[in-house]
Amino acid sequence: MEGRLANSWRLTVNDKNFIKTALLSEIRIDGRKPYEYRKIAIKFGREDGSSEVQLGQTHVMGIVTAQLVQPYRDRPKEGILSIYTEFSPMADPSFEPGRPGELAVELGRIIDRGLRESRSVDTESLCVLAGKFVWAIRIDLHILDNGGNLVDAANIAALAALLTFRRPECSLGGEDGQEVIVHPPEIREPLPLTVHHLPIAITFGFFSNESILVIDPTHNEEAVMSGRMTTTVNANGDICAIQKAGGEGVPQRVIMQCLQLATAKAVGITKQIKEAVEVYNTERALRKIKRHPTSTSVNVREKQNQSIGK
Amino acid sequence: MITERERAMEVDREDGRTQNQLRPLACSRNILHRAHGSASWSQGDTEVFAAVYGRKAGTRKNENPEKAWIEVIWKPKTGQIGKLEKEYEMILKGTLQSICILTVNPNSTTSIIIQVVNDDGAVLPSAINAACVALVDAGIPMKHLAVAICCCAPKSGYVILDPTKLEEQKIKAFAYLVFPNSVHSVLPEGSLMDDYFYCLERGCAESVKLSDFLRSLKQHPTDSSKAG
Repeated sequence: MEGRLANSWRLTVNDKNFIKTALLSEIRIDGRKPYEYRKIAIKFGREDGSSEVQLGQTHVMGIVTAQLVQPYRDRPKEGILSIYTEFSPMADPSFEPGRPGELAVELGRIIDRGLRESRSVDTESLCVLAGKFVWAIRIDLHILDNGGNLVDAANIAALAALLTFRRPECSLGGEDGQEVIVHPPEIREPLPLTVHHLPIAITFGFFSNESILVIDPTHNEEAVMSGRMTTTVNANGDICAIQKAGGEGVPQRVIMQCLQLATAKAVGITKQIKEAVEVYNTERALRKIKRHPTSTSVNVREKQNQSIGK
Repeated sequence: MITERERAMEVDREDGRTQNQLRPLACSRNILHRAHGSASWSQGDTEVFAAVYGRKAGTRKNENPEKAWIEVIWKPKTGQIGKLEKEYEMILKGTLQSICILTVNPNSTTSIIIQVVNDDGAVLPSAINAACVALVDAGIPMKHLAVAICCCAPKSGYVILDPTKLEEQKIKAFAYLVFPNSVHSVLPEGSLMDDYFYCLERGCAESVKLSDFLRSLKQHPTDSSKAG
């Protein structure tokens, strides 16, 4: 355990000064302009509800699963939405396995607030039998590679996974209509979740010089910056959440400027997510059509000089 | 040569494979930027990521300081880490300890992190294969590579290779075999006694194919390669 701390990565003073000096002339070390986002790539897995998002060098995987549980007593007609964030030691040598650290908890909290408080996922439609059975949606976010700005990437992964997730259809049956029958996907087509809008998290980095502001910091910039703020907005211009935990003090006009920037960026990102989901849905529909399997398996008993044939 | 016994017992598997056919293999190296070595390995729909952080100073308290120590962390797709994950970690650690040269950097820790992306059967062999490729990518000195295969016996008398999740659930006995040295990790469950040597023979033949695939991978350094 101590070994890990001894090997934690530190940015050199020279690197830090270089980044700061470059920012004074509005140049960032990866060639972007201060208000430019990195390239976002959204991919989906074979199963419904699994997404992989790459934001530059940051790589996050999101998985959505659902289970039938008893609802909370004070909300008998609402489903449950819970987010689990895993800062895998794969992503960064300083991440330790086991209990989530401060950063992981904060990240989970920001995404949770964005989804829950803005009521983007309709929890009332998740109710099956009031007071007895509701669907509990669990979102697992695995951080695979820390290239900076984990919040935004994880948020996009969570949204993409939610949009492609399908929950099994269930109906009430039994003698008194109190039994819940869950239909397997082969018999009845599973249903998508009702998502009203997409809250997109946009992170800003502040540096000690007041007028320097960057969007989507890389992990080198994160080591240099003196303050950060995450705003969660949606494409309609609604502000879903703002998180500014400590760091450098920032005047009010800068915050307003950030919110305007965020709303502009959110429109672009929402469009990108929706397009990726469309492509996935088309592919999913095509997969339903049964075709002959292309024989790409490897046959072991073939002679050695025979090539691996298709 | 297909023996009489096999011919009599050839059965249709759900995805149309024969007994000895593996699912299509795909592998990519160097997929992560922070990790020193990384790889993704998929057999059919089962996909596993492996990341390696090489040689850090220090080992845990009660470990032998004259040898390097290997730490394995297994992350399931969803859910809490339980006994099954710990078991996988132990098996993987034992396997990798036997193939890595531990005396080169004493009193150091190499961390290997496995992330299951999708589990459609035979996840442990996929993880072993992915871990080997990731170790090569990180440049950790090893004696030789290991290839892992899962065999199972749905009925006594014959053996099928590389089961999917559905097949795994129906089967009463299966074993994971790791080559090329003598068998290092064997997890026989259920009664596999008669078929054990039969499994070994099949697994051996199959490992030749997997080794060829791994070798072809090393010739194409950064891109992903597909087999079959």
